[in-house]
Amino acid sequence: MKRYLIGLGNYSMTDDSIGLRVIEHIADNRLDQGFEPLELGQDATRVLFYCEPDTELIVVVDCVRMGCAPGEVRVFRPEEVQTTKELAHFSTHEGDLLQTLEVGRRLGYVIPPLRIVGIEPQRVEPSMDLSSALQERFAEYVELCIREVLLPASTDTGPQNPVSELALR
Amino acid sequence: MSKNVNIHVHHVTRVEGHGNIVVNVNNGTIEKCEWQVPEAPRFFEAMVRGRHFTEVARITSRICGICSVGHTLASVKATEDALGIQISEQSHKLRTILKHAENFDSHVVHVLFLAAPDLFGVKSVFPLVPTHEPVVRTALRLKRFGHEWGSVLAGRTTHPTKVVPGGFSDLPTTKELQVLRKRFVDEVVPDFKVALEVLTSVAHKFPKFERPTEYMALHNTQEYGVYGGDQVQTIMPDGTKETYRVADYKSITNEYVSPLSTAKYCRNKMQSYMAGALARFNNHYDQLHPEAKALATALGLKPLCSNPYLNSVAQVVEIAHSVHESLRLIDEILDGGGVKDEPLVKPTRFAEGSAAVEVPRGILFHSYAYDKNGMCVNGNCIIPTNQNHANIQYDFEKLLPEMLAADKSQDDIRLAMEMLVRGYDPCISCSTHVLNVEFKQ
Repeated sequence: MKRYLIGLGNYSMTDDSIGLRVIEHIADNRLDQGFEPLELGQDATRVLFYCEPDTELIVVVDCVRMGCAPGEVRVFRPEEVQTTKELAHFSTHEGDLLQTLEVGRRLGYVIPPLRIVGIEPQRVEPSMDLSSALQERFAEYVELCIREVLLPASTDTGPQNPVSELALR
Repeated sequence: MSKNVNIHVHHVTRVEGHGNIVVNVNNGTIEKCEWQVPEAPRFFEAMVRGRHFTEVARITSRICGICSVGHTLASVKATEDALGIQISEQSHKLRTILKHAENFDSHVVHVLFLAAPDLFGVKSVFPLVPTHEPVVRTALRLKRFGHEWGSVLAGRTTHPTKVVPGGFSDLPTTKELQVLRKRFVDEVVPDFKVALEVLTSVAHKFPKFERPTEYMALHNTQEYGVYGGDQVQTIMPDGTKETYRVADYKSITNEYVSPLSTAKYCRNKMQSYMAGALARFNNHYDQLHPEAKALATALGLKPLCSNPYLNSVAQVVEIAHSVHESLRLIDEILDGGGVKDEPLVKPTRFAEGSAAVEVPRGILFHSYAYDKNGMCVNGNCIIPTNQNHANIQYDFEKLLPEMLAADKSQDDIRLAMEMLVRGYDPCISCSTHVLNVEFKQ
């Protein structure tokens, strides 16, 4: 059975790159023991390609606006949230993981247990750096993502679980 | 005519960063008709300065998560030009197959997920799931194949790892190419036929609109240029063609600042030019694979076509070309005894160099200068979406009066303008992926 830790985002939009940076750090430092780290850029539809019968768990790390303080992290399942993002449908370069998963479900894809590590951005604007709020907690995000992808697939992770609580489990 | 029209498609509030369509018509008088691009510079050129030539492509591949193969190939090709590196014929073929994979993947998404809903009269692909489930399923399968096809060559298609100056750090195996070839025949060709039947049935629904302009594409005397080639060709509305050296890219693109855009506009001989699938088709129709030519005929697409909406139809033609041309290249490698191990070709000098490749949205230029230690001292990058902004603006300026004269409604005008922008398949580089959610309680 396979476990995937997937990073989504855009490298050139500051905190939107957090998912990619976490994956890159894990791969570069060979911390990927027991799971496969994947950078999928802005192309959320590619997550469906890893929804296979032998997929035990997918953890997606992504920049998420969820009304928290900048840098705060929450782990949740897709069914615990609803998207408020409206797509322009102008460009192949935009995406919404939640809508992609919904299309997959409607088409009969069997979505394996999937959790999202959502990180609240401080800045989403054209720049290749990361905001100080996320930079300061980067190591924490890496540790959390590794822990999440190695947890039992059925572990319930609710929307009220910030990183400090998860660390106690 | 005493008509009032107010359109403000302000995508900054809908998606993070995008162009805005702003139209004000007061009592029949056009007061504003603008394609606004409020994106900020990203200073990639500054970021590569001081980096070793082996690092530059890894950085520039981050310019775009969709076209990262194209940025990698353009970057590596420009670096090789600067370093006097002549890659092997095998590397050239493998990179061309990789370039086709990216164009295939992106075109499938654009045509089937973004353009097709307009033709079916729905706002997105979601309403098509219950009504056209087999096609949506087929589209996802094709897209997945494009992803896996690229991964065989590049290691991964998002921010590829295997394409490096001098060749490939890790070559695909003969067995991998054999499997890929079998999948082309067994899976892709039949799936594409299914998608094509549906697209053919609605292809006549693209708006009728003509605006002759200049079309620019990478030129290669040996093949329909996507990767190889060191010349640029333009074709004018009267059919005359002119070629330029890629090294002269600055005097071909002529970037300038427009008050409508923080991204630079481009022009060559005319007030604007178009890059992308239609530009390639118009310039190099004769070099298309016969299967792609036959498809163009079936879809009613002929050069010289000056309807920008049909850029999507040209993309369909290019999907067929990419499939059949890649099959041909794979066969050449397999017939020659399979993939052969090759060392990386080493630099013979450190100087300046430029290159271009065709990414899905058009011709992409990269240029670098290196010092005697192989450190980058200068970089430049001109992306196709920026090259198309001026052409979109001039399309708007012809389209709006025509629609007003035809007494079209505000909604019709808005849709026509949105479809026009979509037709260009813009990669507005500040588009982001960030999720916006609220928790259910």
